[in-house]
Amino acid sequence: MSDPTLASSVVDPGSAPTGALALIDRSDVTKLVVRAPHAGETATALATAHGRSRRAAGVTILGQRPTEWLLVGERAACDALAAEVADDPATSVIDLTHGRCLFELRGADGPRVMEKINGLDWSDPMMPDGAVTGGSVAKVMSDLARQDVDGTWACWIAADRSFGQYLFDAIADACREFAH
Amino acid sequence: MLNPLGLLRTATTAPGVRRLDTPQPGEVIDRDTSVRFTFNGARLTGHEGDTIASALMGNGIRVVSRSMKYHRPRGYLTADIWDPNGALQVGDEPNVRSAHRLLTDGMAISTQNVWPSLDLDVKAANGLVSRFLTAGFYYKTFMKPAALWPYYEKVLATFAPGGTVDLDTPHGEFDKRYAHPDVLIAGAGPAGMAAAVAAADEGASVMLVETEHELGGHLRWGDEAELAAAAELIHAVRSRPEIEVLTDATVTGRYEDNWCAISQRTHTHVAERLIKARAKVLVVAPGLIERPYVFAGNDKPGVMTAGAVRRLVNMYGVQPGDRAVVFTANTHGDAAADDLERIGVPVQRVDARAGERIAEATGPDAGVAGVTLVDGRTIEADLLVTAVGWTAPTSLLNMAGDRPVYDRATARFFGSAEIDNVLTTGGIAGDGTVTELVGHGSATGRLAARRAAVIGAHLRAATVWAAPVDTTPPATLPADDRSPLGRDAHPELFRSTTHGIVDYSEDVGSKDLVAAATEGYDSIELLKRYTTATMGPAQGKLETVNTAAVLAEARGERIEDVGTTVWRPPFVPVSLGALAGRVFEPTRVSSIQPWHEANGATPILAGQWIRPEHYGDPAAEVLATRAGVGIIDVTPLGKLDLRGPDVPKLLEQLYTNKWQKLPVGGVRYGLMCAEDGVVMDDGVTARLGDEHYLMTTTSSGAASVWEWAEMWLQTEHPDWQVHVTPVTTAYTSINVAGPKSRELVGRLCDDVDLSPEAFAYMQVRTGTVAGVADCVMWRIGFTGELSYELHVPAGHGLHVWERLLAEGADLGVRPFGLEAQRIMRLEKGHFIVGQDTDGLTKAPSTGLESLIKLDKDDFAGKPELAWALSPEALASAPRVVAIQPDDPTIVPDEACQIVGGETTEILGRITSSRMSPTLGRSICLGQVVPTLAAPGTKLTVLLVDGRRVPATVMEHHAHYDPEGARLRV
Repeated sequence: MSDPTLASSVVDPGSAPTGALALIDRSDVTKLVVRAPHAGETATALATAHGRSRRAAGVTILGQRPTEWLLVGERAACDALAAEVADDPATSVIDLTHGRCLFELRGADGPRVMEKINGLDWSDPMMPDGAVTGGSVAKVMSDLARQDVDGTWACWIAADRSFGQYLFDAIADACREFAH
Repeated sequence: MLNPLGLLRTATTAPGVRRLDTPQPGEVIDRDTSVRFTFNGARLTGHEGDTIASALMGNGIRVVSRSMKYHRPRGYLTADIWDPNGALQVGDEPNVRSAHRLLTDGMAISTQNVWPSLDLDVKAANGLVSRFLTAGFYYKTFMKPAALWPYYEKVLATFAPGGTVDLDTPHGEFDKRYAHPDVLIAGAGPAGMAAAVAAADEGASVMLVETEHELGGHLRWGDEAELAAAAELIHAVRSRPEIEVLTDATVTGRYEDNWCAISQRTHTHVAERLIKARAKVLVVAPGLIERPYVFAGNDKPGVMTAGAVRRLVNMYGVQPGDRAVVFTANTHGDAAADDLERIGVPVQRVDARAGERIAEATGPDAGVAGVTLVDGRTIEADLLVTAVGWTAPTSLLNMAGDRPVYDRATARFFGSAEIDNVLTTGGIAGDGTVTELVGHGSATGRLAARRAAVIGAHLRAATVWAAPVDTTPPATLPADDRSPLGRDAHPELFRSTTHGIVDYSEDVGSKDLVAAATEGYDSIELLKRYTTATMGPAQGKLETVNTAAVLAEARGERIEDVGTTVWRPPFVPVSLGALAGRVFEPTRVSSIQPWHEANGATPILAGQWIRPEHYGDPAAEVLATRAGVGIIDVTPLGKLDLRGPDVPKLLEQLYTNKWQKLPVGGVRYGLMCAEDGVVMDDGVTARLGDEHYLMTTTSSGAASVWEWAEMWLQTEHPDWQVHVTPVTTAYTSINVAGPKSRELVGRLCDDVDLSPEAFAYMQVRTGTVAGVADCVMWRIGFTGELSYELHVPAGHGLHVWERLLAEGADLGVRPFGLEAQRIMRLEKGHFIVGQDTDGLTKAPSTGLESLIKLDKDDFAGKPELAWALSPEALASAPRVVAIQPDDPTIVPDEACQIVGGETTEILGRITSSRMSPTLGRSICLGQVVPTLAAPGTKLTVLLVDGRRVPATVMEHHAHYDPEGARLRV
């Protein structure tokens, strides 16, 4: 029996840009949701405020909601960090690796792309590197995180897996006028 | 004496209208590039940079359209976007503002609403009966007999203005965009550009919006010094990356908290874009709109504003006439006269400042031939230029809540009080030299930037994900320290001693307004609606002040006492496509969807989900499943992960039945009611661990049940320790159903004992299926057969699906779709919430009274259900029952009524119906009044075709295997 591999919700990447402006499917990354009180052992251990993110030991910790964090990274690193907080009886860790698609939009034109499909203010002061929030992207409720890569503007867009292909296509379509 | 044919026929060209041989200093056309186009079928040539208007006039064409009501010949009046006479059909696009739209190669341009042609328009016969077509005539006529109105309507429709739309025309691509500039500037004249530069230099992000195709405002058609000033400012704007420049775009509306709509008409990728901008500060700098003068013959071709003449001469190298009279009250008119003289046109100046007045433009309808002054003098001329003052386009100020006030000294309106985050600069704020306008614009830009910085700091401080602010932002905005612009005195010039057209778009004259006022419509708002003045395409840009002035004169009052109508958005027309924008219609699919598509599934849209309805033969899918084994993709089934020690309390709260004793590995069905006792959802919940449960909901109820659970946790029981996490598509859900399902699942799973003793009906296990670990395996099913519902980590869903088909080939496994499932569930008598129940169906009506545990402390809907279970309530509550038509071949449509014999008394309805392949007969579920709910009761079903057919209430909901023997094996 062959060892199954995780299949992305994006079956057809179509005309997604891959140059200076790139849309990358990162859905296969491990995604663990940590639910815990906003002040407590887990919150202290994760040390990431609501609306912020930080990177530690191969894991990006996103403060998605006051009582919810998303751990994104390699499986082993995420599991290791989750293990540190799992003993807290007030904490739940739910693996949403399969349940959420996650796309990275990267490039200087990224904010202009987002302005076509999302109503948030994508200026640097309002959405600095590391900012974490949520909103409608092409009418799909999504988790949003500004995650620059080596000084290049980048953003993660995560949503329910079932919307994956639709959402990917909608973002790619918004990219068209900026793709060179 | 009236010459009917002369009234209908007109010449459209004029010898004095032509393209100048010599390029002009501010010319924007490229004389080396020819652009071919047609006008009413005639082949013509223009230049790159021409508007349609300048190209037509460059070809000697002076008459381009007919007026709306009287079909009088019309030529360009203002030669810009506000021109009321320039609406033309371009290809299949109607109502194109031809004095604004740039000419492109191959354009097919035609006049609208003329028959049979522009030069011979039979509809101009309206002019013969003009005395009967005064303002409000349609309110007085066509009223009786009322039965004839449909015919009147058809005739009137043929006179409606506007072009034609070909329904087969492929529509353009439109979209929307959001923007959050610190400073949004409406208007890129000298003051607007200076404001943009100053704001950018203060560190603000700026969006500069200009209606015209290029920056510069009135400097573009000015003298050399003004052109130089424009070039300098444009360079300053273009060299600042903080300034986003939008040309051929207009701020069309200002809403609460500076939410501004911007129509961007020129874009490289879309036909038109609607930008929704949330500006911290809005700077209103639209300049001024030149106001026409009301006098006899003022709509003849050849009557133009000074601005029109300056634009045509200086930007497009077009001579608008051979001999000109310039009626001027200001330096703008003087400059127009100078421009005309420079190109060799003899000019007779009539100086309003010296008390001179024009009274009439004389000549045929085709155009001006002379001018008569009030003092009786006559002057031969084919061009009459008026420069009588300005209308301040205060639209955005009105929308911000301001009520501009009239200033008699300058004969125009000004804002009454500036709003904190709405500033004005340029002509709308006052008068001055270019230097003074630039100075005021710069000061305004700096103030706007400083105020935007404070507003932005407050926004950041209030937004958890924004960059932190270093210090607490001040509570108040920076004070307005600008020196105001001056106000140049200007005579009040609205109407001469004669009557003329006030609203060119609607063919409303000053006589009409006076008559309406005499009839009692003497309020400006009533007058507007009665006469339609200011209601046409110009929307008051040219005629608002003149309308108020004529009314004031009629009432013997002052303009400030009469007031003006209210400017409402949009400021310019916005296409419906831009308003609609990109249509986002999210769709959801399971991980198996590629397989469904590749294997001939007929899709059905259920909510947002695209699901396979069937694979060609749903009846065969039913029979195959009943006989062997079938698999169905049930991924949309709602799933909530519940964790924490208080999950049983939550379940007790949400469901009507009890949950405290559900063992690990156990599954229980639950009925969920709203607080009024109405069924809102149902589903099964499994206990996977001590403090870990998995709840399923209906497919359509997944989101609402999650919100319902969170509502109870957050508002009523915040002390309960429960985490509810939606995991609907974290799993691909596959139901394996049929007597051979155990064998099939057993071939792919070796770490769960599937024997009925170890894994019984209504139990759950976690195991490995087809090599995929952490699959949740349920012994449940909607089909009434032995079933295993496999919840597979979604990324492996397609793998498991394909393995099931491969391993079960010898068992005859086949996929079945939603339709087969619905047939089997109906055979089994399972009701569907929302189909067999409705917004009034309380739990006792479903026949599941045994699940309503009134001995629990509390649960949602308990008080109402306690009453609903009382004998008196049950005596009137409808009941869900199984029904079989006596004729087994008749399948009543869903929603067919159950009536009392031959009467029309409605006693219930069919809620679900199908032909059962298993039973070979029609089967139904329905709701009936309680007196008809007893088994064996005879019903009458009223079919859609009017027939009444007998049917019988069955003993059990299940038409098939009511004992449940097949699913418990």
